[in-house]
Amino acid sequence: MPVLELRDVTKVFPGVVANDKVSFTLEEREIVALLGENGAGKSTLMNIVYGLLSADHGEILVDGEPVKIRSSRQAIDLGIGMVHQHFMLIEPLTVTENIVLGREPGRFGVIDIGTARKRVAEISERYGLRIDPDARISDLEVGLQQRVEILKALYQGARVLILDEPTAVLTPQEVRELFAVVRSLVDEGLSVVFITHKLEEVMAVADRIVVMRDGAVVGQTRPSETDEVGLARMMVGRDVVLRIDKKPVACGETVLEVRELVVKSDRGLDAVGGVSFQVCGGEVVAVAGVGGNGQTELVEAIVGLRKPVSGSIALKGNDITHASARSSIEVGVSHVPEDRHRRGLILQFNIAENLLLGDHRVAPYARHGVIKLREVISMARKRIEDYDIRTPSEKVLGSSLSGGNQQKVVIARELGRNPELLVAAQPTRGLDVGAIEFVHRQVLAEREAGKAVLLISLELEEVLSLADRILVMYEGRIVKEFAADEADAETLGFYMTGGGGTKLEATPPEASPAGAGVGE
Amino acid sequence: MLSDVITPDLFAAALRIATPLALAAIGGTICERSGIVNIALEGIMLFGAFFGTATVLATGSPWLGVIVAVLAGVIVSAIHATASINLRTDQVVSGTAINLLALGVTGFLMELWYGHPGTTEPIRTLQPVFHFTASGEGVLNEIWRWINGVFLSHTPIVYATIVIALATHWAMYHTRWGLRLRALGEHPRAVETAGVSVARGRWVAVLMSGALGGLAGANLSIEQVGVFQENFTNGRGFIALAANIFGRWTPIGSYLASLLFGFADALQIKLQPFRDVVDIPPQFFYMLPYVLTVVVVAGVMGRAIGPAAVGVPYEKE
Repeated sequence: MPVLELRDVTKVFPGVVANDKVSFTLEEREIVALLGENGAGKSTLMNIVYGLLSADHGEILVDGEPVKIRSSRQAIDLGIGMVHQHFMLIEPLTVTENIVLGREPGRFGVIDIGTARKRVAEISERYGLRIDPDARISDLEVGLQQRVEILKALYQGARVLILDEPTAVLTPQEVRELFAVVRSLVDEGLSVVFITHKLEEVMAVADRIVVMRDGAVVGQTRPSETDEVGLARMMVGRDVVLRIDKKPVACGETVLEVRELVVKSDRGLDAVGGVSFQVCGGEVVAVAGVGGNGQTELVEAIVGLRKPVSGSIALKGNDITHASARSSIEVGVSHVPEDRHRRGLILQFNIAENLLLGDHRVAPYARHGVIKLREVISMARKRIEDYDIRTPSEKVLGSSLSGGNQQKVVIARELGRNPELLVAAQPTRGLDVGAIEFVHRQVLAEREAGKAVLLISLELEEVLSLADRILVMYEGRIVKEFAADEADAETLGFYMTGGGGTKLEATPPEASPAGAGVGE
Repeated sequence: MLSDVITPDLFAAALRIATPLALAAIGGTICERSGIVNIALEGIMLFGAFFGTATVLATGSPWLGVIVAVLAGVIVSAIHATASINLRTDQVVSGTAINLLALGVTGFLMELWYGHPGTTEPIRTLQPVFHFTASGEGVLNEIWRWINGVFLSHTPIVYATIVIALATHWAMYHTRWGLRLRALGEHPRAVETAGVSVARGRWVAVLMSGALGGLAGANLSIEQVGVFQENFTNGRGFIALAANIFGRWTPIGSYLASLLFGFADALQIKLQPFRDVVDIPPQFFYMLPYVLTVVVVAGVMGRAIGPAAVGVPYEKE
């Protein structure tokens, strides 16, 4: 008998059928991956199970008994726990306070914090999830915060654990640890639903795979019966090229030259500590590294958003070390920022306005400070078509586009300017396979057009498939350089975590369980 | 001159003046910790002061007046709770509306019930709890005179406020209510997913702030002045919110910040007689508490970070 069963669950939002007669089962001690593109209805379905949304039709059964789940409290009481994509943690509070919230031990309303801490320690011991019960959430790294979320569900007595896109924020090492945790939870008798859109994760961790598209279940399979290409086809509904073949391109003249660059972080520390490299025309140079090792500051210095302390940056021989963002655009630097919501787009602007940003002063879009709407609209329509932005009109707000289409708007704007250098920071973060394929094609098209591309990515798979040369960044320095064909994920991961340098806390590469999300 | 200013009276006055500020500030602390901005405290105090006074005028019982003042505060805050929690209106707009309503309704009822605007007849007030005498010479007698003057000369609500500050502070960090309250203002959805009702937690907090605001009004009218005047509160609700910020959204902090404001006000009153001596216009002294408020709110004393989700209406998905 399944521990959790959904029968014909339907949920309609205004204008969209988010779930269309979805049926789903989860057996005891089973890991089921719920695979689908962004917007396929996976999270909606699980939010219904967790009582955050209510279904319009359909049945939910727990241990074979039909149940009504109207609130998270009821879900918790039925033994259902959920780790949300955006963590439900209260940053100023401690680990213990977060875990016991809602089920605090104690009498007469007074919390017995000693007992609370002891219970947290017990659970953390039992499942091998080590954590400091008195640490504040805001002081913890993302991987540990996720651990607190899992502990919270276990404390609440979860037998069914729903993980919503749990790897989106993790480093490859943390992903590997998470998979080990998930397996040990199943050994302890839990059943797990794993929501994701990443194919290699599904292959690595799932017992069974349920694929959703456009709100409906389009198929079920097992890792042993399929491969990533097959899964991608089920998920997207057409053939998807996961790894695009690169044409050989001869390296042209040097476009970007960075010398001994030192950049400080917001806290005043040396985030980039003396970095030198070149990118030539027709070349993709990738900076690989774990997030927070100076990549953000390096990018900001190159595109004119942050003043370097020392060193120089030159574009085609012209010094742009102290160029502003405006003059940096004028000399031909385009920038796809890592955070498209905060820096890539103005969400409250429509598509046409977003496409104009940065070119809003120059002819033919503006004259004497007045924007010429007709020109802007015709430009926007052309870009929407050229870059396949799925929208009914150029007047749609940035905030109502899907993540993939938002990124297409950013890329259309930045590449539409015909730059000399493209600086792309995590250009596929949070995108699904179809959109990733699009972004990768655009990056390689720039390369083939003889342009220089600097790619910053945390995804090793992406680095390996796009780059001609790979620079590994660790603690603000480039610790290793590889030609693309010399590198593999394991070696990169080794150097990314400080291996090979003076700090040898990382272990050398070893056989990992099925690549653990970092690609083979 | 100094010995004329620095007297037990000065500090006793500081405590007294701090009391309504502290009550409203603690109300503001509780409310904002739950994620709801309550700038309606000004109006809530005014309602409390008016209905408290009216009750004493009608019944002759100051204690009954206090109870009615608290109830009035709770009822008015229920309007704010309905608007900001259930209807998800902008909390500042709702609060402003209540403040304007308070001015209008109390002024109107003055006319209707007492036939004139301005000030009511004097009412029976609550008297100081202790009546010790202090006289005689010597150091010990002098110390006793200070202790008696500063700490033992007060009316019941002044003492109650100290107890409330300590008790709510303790409760905020040691009880289920306190943990959930602190969580609510930071990340309401996290509270919801932990199986706790956001709306209920916020309602309780807003009603508590209403009760404290009503009590503050009772202190002003039934303990301190003994009448009700139009626009009696004169911005105290806003100074209280500044005290809450200065006190870093904690009850004890709010109390201590209120003491500082109370001291500034007591000092300016004490300094009034000397305006001929030092040749400073009296307006300069009147200004002091308000200048202090501006300084505090402008963050001169260090940046204060409030609850992350304060002022943001919460909507279930």
